[in-house]
Amino acid sequence: MRAWAARLEPGLIPFTPLAKPLRECTVALISTAGIACNDDRPFDQDGERRNPWWGDPSFRAIPLGMTEKDVRLHHLHIDRRFGEADLDVVLPMRRLAELVGEGVVGRPAPTHYSLMGYILEPRELLEQTVPAIAERMRAEHVDAVALAPA
Amino acid sequence: MIPDLTRAAGVPRLVGISHPMGQPFGRPHDADRQRAVLRAMLELLASATGPGSQVELPFEWPETPAQVRKASKDVPPSPMEELMRSAPPGEEPGTAL
Repeated sequence: MRAWAARLEPGLIPFTPLAKPLRECTVALISTAGIACNDDRPFDQDGERRNPWWGDPSFRAIPLGMTEKDVRLHHLHIDRRFGEADLDVVLPMRRLAELVGEGVVGRPAPTHYSLMGYILEPRELLEQTVPAIAERMRAEHVDAVALAPA
Repeated sequence: MIPDLTRAAGVPRLVGISHPMGQPFGRPHDADRQRAVLRAMLELLASATGPGSQVELPFEWPETPAQVRKASKDVPPSPMEELMRSAPPGEEPGTAL
């Protein structure tokens, strides 16, 4: 992966200053643990097993309030038991709610998101998945996002 | 976790932390650590002054890397790991004298 990273051409890094204080912001979380709700389509593990060079580039929405009882993790490169024992290990929606209670953050977004953390060919991720997530975030008036690898 | 790789992708703001893969915010049920990590991430939203801002969080993991590996030793290898193990050129298991 380091050899791959060294081949990336340095580009312009995007940066948008926070437009208002964090205590007034609506915040959404993204995890790359491959989390899907039990009543949603799982991430495609079999596709990756057939072709280890491929990773599922789709996303899943995780409504606020879902817990480890409501989801499964599908990332094939990590020990999924930690996040399945306590979802806040990878997608800390309860911790976000506590920070809202403390007045640090304005409000949690109604929807949070997950991706698979192993996608060697990111074209579909960048051209389809990310814009689709951004559109939903705009519709829910999200001001800021914390993205955590898994 | 692997902030040098994340940095190479050109993210606007980056928080580095020495937590193991699979447990970015902390161990299961360690709410204080999880909240502190999330809070530090969110505070960088406001404190970052420009693109590529990076903060290294001072949290220490309570296990050694060997303990972390041992705790997950029964997790099957990823498909890519299996591929790499099964087909290193000239090093197929059982063929070396």
